[in-house]
Amino acid sequence: MIPAFLEYIFEYITEQTQLISVELVQKNYKKTNIGDYKKDTMGEIAKGGSEALNLILSGDPELYGIVGLSLFVSGISVLISTCIGLPLGVLLGTHNFRGKGIIIRITYTFMSLPPVIAGLFVFLILMRRGPFGYLQLNYTPTAMIIAQVCLVTPIIMGLTYNLVKEKARTIRNLALTLGARGPSILTLMIYEMRVGLTTALVSGFGRAISEVGAVMIVGGNIKGKTRVMTTYITELKTMGDYSRAIAVGIILLIIAFLITTILYNFQERESK
Amino acid sequence: MQLFFKDLSREYDGKKVLDIPSGFVAGGSRTAVVGPNGSGKSTLLNIVAGLDQPTTGRVFYGHERQELDEVSRDITMVFQKPYLITASIEKNIAYPMKIRDYDDAEIEKRVAELCDELGLTDLRKRRSWKLSGGEIQKVSLARALSFQPKLLLLDEPTANIDPATTAEIERMLIKINNDFGTTIIFVTHNLAQARRVCNRIIFLNKGQLIEEGPCSQVLVSPRQELTRRFIAGELLY
Repeated sequence: MIPAFLEYIFEYITEQTQLISVELVQKNYKKTNIGDYKKDTMGEIAKGGSEALNLILSGDPELYGIVGLSLFVSGISVLISTCIGLPLGVLLGTHNFRGKGIIIRITYTFMSLPPVIAGLFVFLILMRRGPFGYLQLNYTPTAMIIAQVCLVTPIIMGLTYNLVKEKARTIRNLALTLGARGPSILTLMIYEMRVGLTTALVSGFGRAISEVGAVMIVGGNIKGKTRVMTTYITELKTMGDYSRAIAVGIILLIIAFLITTILYNFQERESK
Repeated sequence: MQLFFKDLSREYDGKKVLDIPSGFVAGGSRTAVVGPNGSGKSTLLNIVAGLDQPTTGRVFYGHERQELDEVSRDITMVFQKPYLITASIEKNIAYPMKIRDYDDAEIEKRVAELCDELGLTDLRKRRSWKLSGGEIQKVSLARALSFQPKLLLLDEPTANIDPATTAEIERMLIKINNDFGTTIIFVTHNLAQARRVCNRIIFLNKGQLIEEGPCSQVLVSPRQELTRRFIAGELLY
């Protein structure tokens, strides 16, 4: 027998899918010529580009609120994931213990965890009838952060493990023979692996800021409350406002570019 | 710092790679450890440095027969393939002094002295990954000597290094031993080098200590047949 909450989710997803389908049919039924679609698409992209510029320059409070929330949710998620994933990755890379192999395999599997599954899992444990329902966190930024932590932690942990596995023994031996102990060894390890670790953090941030499935399920894309860039793009696409969707997409790309540039400059500076 | 080995053994996967019932390294000596490949030279060095644990037995350090924990900050090691911290040369040399809380003036003075003695002054600001093999090994030695250790362990430090740099390193080792009485244990495959640098020699074969004594005696008139065959180049590497 299917539990009641699963039935509720199935109903919700079916209803949403039907609504989207009907809307698309209504919007496009008049167009019969393929050329019309091509012209429209190129037009939307061009319009999106100029609209992105206008949006950025206009200081649209709604848009900046959405961008701000996206950065906040993803930033906090990466921060928490770093606090969990980094020490666990170091531990995994420097110690041998029973069951290590299975933990590594699970970590690798979770590195490619589909966001919707993470979102669904967090949604179920936070839903009113779930084990943490009393916290009433669903459809809040906190729930979105929890879902993203589930996605990002394995990435940071797995990448840290790989990095530490390669270099930790050499660095540890060096540190020990030079008289370093405990925290000094860890500090030296982090210092020596700083470029790789930064890459891991940026990869985690990239995953967080670009995913839509998890934040959509647990956040619900509520205007002014849980709407982030990716869910907003989905919403705009559903509404047929392609140019604004492209504009937000361009802003998302600009953010990704800026973060990558910072990482690139850091790596270049460290290798000079 | 003198060393005593007591019932020292090391096994890997049930195979004994080191087995020294008793042994001694004199304080203030320059001792070469020689032997064919797989004779346990590096294993012995790693155990003395605390990088590996013996399966049985112990190493005692100094006259008071102290444990490693009590003296580990007076011991250092130079590896065949040294790892330099990804920073400038002067930061590498300063690192052991920083973690020992030396004051900045003292650090600056020691770094300048060591760079001068090893011909690194012009390279002080250079990043570690822009050095040649010989320069890397010299920085590694300068870093090891920066805090004036009582025991210096070297695992084939001049393998794959050019003759000029090798000579510089050898000269430096003799100098610090004469100036500060630093005990040196030097793993090498090169018997001529062992004779040049060291005053005592330990010969290991298949994990066992076959012979130990002054270089002048062991290398000229060895007491053991295995040692004689090794010196004559008859033991396979």
